[in-house]
Amino acid sequence: MKEVVLAIERLTVYREAYAAVQDVSFSLDAGTDTAIVGPNGAGKSTLVQAILGILPRQAGNISVLGQPLIRKGSLAPEIRQQIAYLPQNFLFDRRIPITVEELVGLGWDKLGLQMPWANRRKRRHAVRDALAQVDALHLRRQLISGLSGGETKRVLLAYCLVYPRRLLILDEAPAGLDVRGESEFYQLLYRLKQEQGWAILQISHDLDMVRRHCDRVLCLNRTLLCQGTPEESLSPDNLSLTYGSEFVRYHHRCLPQ
Amino acid sequence: MTLAAELTRIIELFQLPAMQRAMLGGILTGLMGGMLGSFTILRQLSFFSDALGHSALLGISLGLLIGINPSVVLLPFAVLFALGVTYLLERTRLWTDALLNIIYSSSLAIAIIVLNFVGRYKGGLHNLLFGDILAVREPDLLFSAVLLLVCTVFIGLTLRTQMLLTLNESLAIARGVSVSAHRTAFIVLLALVVGVSIKAIGVLLVSAFVVIPACAARSLSRTFTSYVVVSAGLGALSAIVGMLVSAAFNLPSGPSIVTTQLAFFLIAIFIPQTKFLAH
Repeated sequence: MKEVVLAIERLTVYREAYAAVQDVSFSLDAGTDTAIVGPNGAGKSTLVQAILGILPRQAGNISVLGQPLIRKGSLAPEIRQQIAYLPQNFLFDRRIPITVEELVGLGWDKLGLQMPWANRRKRRHAVRDALAQVDALHLRRQLISGLSGGETKRVLLAYCLVYPRRLLILDEAPAGLDVRGESEFYQLLYRLKQEQGWAILQISHDLDMVRRHCDRVLCLNRTLLCQGTPEESLSPDNLSLTYGSEFVRYHHRCLPQ
Repeated sequence: MTLAAELTRIIELFQLPAMQRAMLGGILTGLMGGMLGSFTILRQLSFFSDALGHSALLGISLGLLIGINPSVVLLPFAVLFALGVTYLLERTRLWTDALLNIIYSSSLAIAIIVLNFVGRYKGGLHNLLFGDILAVREPDLLFSAVLLLVCTVFIGLTLRTQMLLTLNESLAIARGVSVSAHRTAFIVLLALVVGVSIKAIGVLLVSAFVVIPACAARSLSRTFTSYVVVSAGLGALSAIVGMLVSAAFNLPSGPSIVTTQLAFFLIAIFIPQTKFLAH
C-alpha cells in the first residue's frame, strides 16, 4: 500500500463572505500525479492556498505526511520542507537584484536563523544539480530580471527540485513554456514521481495534457464533483457537470477525429 | 590658504571630541540606514521612512507638551507610530502612498498646533528639521552602536528569509515563514533607526540615509548579498566624505552628507564602468 502524502477531509474555505471551496475530501498517494480541473473561479487556487496555509480554512482537516495542519497553517519545519510550490503568476519586482543561483538556493534552505555563509558549498552543489535538471545551468549567474517567461518557469522549477521533497504543488506551471520546454517539463515530473516517489498535485486548464500525463483527476467547481482516472473524470457527462454543456459541445468539436 | 594649511586645519578639527563623535555618529547612522534601506526600497517602503521622519515632530511636540525630554519620547513614539501605520496599511484597502500622505501631513499639522501651545522650543525648530550632528553625545553613540549590532544580527541571521519575503510573499508563506512577524520586526528596527538618526540629520533629511545609498547600491550590485553590503558601505562612506567636505568648506554636516550620497548615486547610475564593483 502506498504512503498517503496529502489527506484532505471535508475542507471548506471562504473568500470574503462566500464559500470558494466547500466540503472537499481527497487524498494523494506517493508516486502519483493528480490534476485539479475546473472553470475559472471554481476554487482551484483557493484550495491549493489553503493546503499551503496561505489562506485560513473555515472547516475540515488537512494533513501532510500524517502531520495535521493547524488552522493558522503551521506545520513542523521538517514537514514543511517536504512541500514545494510553484505559483500560477509568479509576480516579483524585476528590479530586485537577485541571481538565478541565489533564488534557487533559497529553495534549499530551511529558512530558520542561520549564518549567511552556512552550508555554502552543499547549497551550491544542490543548486547546480537542480539547474542542470531543468537545463538552466548556463543561467546561474544571470539576474532574474533578465529571464524570459519560460526561463523563469524553469528556474522556479529548479527552486522546487533543489531539495528532495515528497509533495509538489503546481498552479498552471507549464504556461509560458515552449513545446520542447513543456515536453521536458513532463518528462521531469514523470521521473520525480517514478524514481523519487514525489506526489504531484497540479492545477491545469489543459485537458489533453491531463489525459496524457496524470494518473488521477479531480473535477472542482467550488465542491468536488468527481474524482477518478482521466477516462472516468473527463467523460462528457462529468465535463458537462463541471464546465457546463456548452463547453462539452465545443470541446468535442475541437478534438481531432 | 595653502592646501597643506587647509589639511592641517581639517586634521585639527577632527581632533576635537565633538567632531570625532559626529564622524562616528555619521558612520553608524550611514551603516544602519544603508543596511535597512536596501530592503526598504525593494519593499517599496521608501515613503514610509519619510513619513516616519516627519511624524517624529509630533512625538517631540507631545513630549514638550507633557514636560518629558523629547529625546526620551522620540523612540517609543516612532515605534508605536510605525506599528500603528502598519496596522492601518493591513486593515484598510487604501493605496499605501495615499494613506502615508494622510498620516504624515496630518501628524505634521497636529505637531505644529501642539508646538504653538508649548511656546518657544529651546532645542530650536531648525535643529529638529535639519539635525545637529555635533550635538551627538556618548549615550547616543552607544545606543546607535547597539542598534547597529541588533540590525546586523537580525539581517545576517534571517538574510535568506528576508530575500524570499522581498521576492514573493506567497513563496515565503508556503515555506512556513511568518510574514507578519518578520514585517513587524523589520518595521520596528526601521522606526528605531529613523528615530535615532533624527537628532543627527533632522526630520527633513533622515529618509535620504535610508533611500539614496540603497538606490546607488542597486545600480552597482549583481547579487543580492553584495547589494546589502554595498548599500551599508555606501551609507558609511557617504558619511565620512560628507563630514570631511563639511569640515573643509564649513558647510552644515547633514546636508553635506546627503549631497555626497547624491554624488555617489549619480556616479552609480551614469557611469556604467562602476557596475563591475560588486560582481
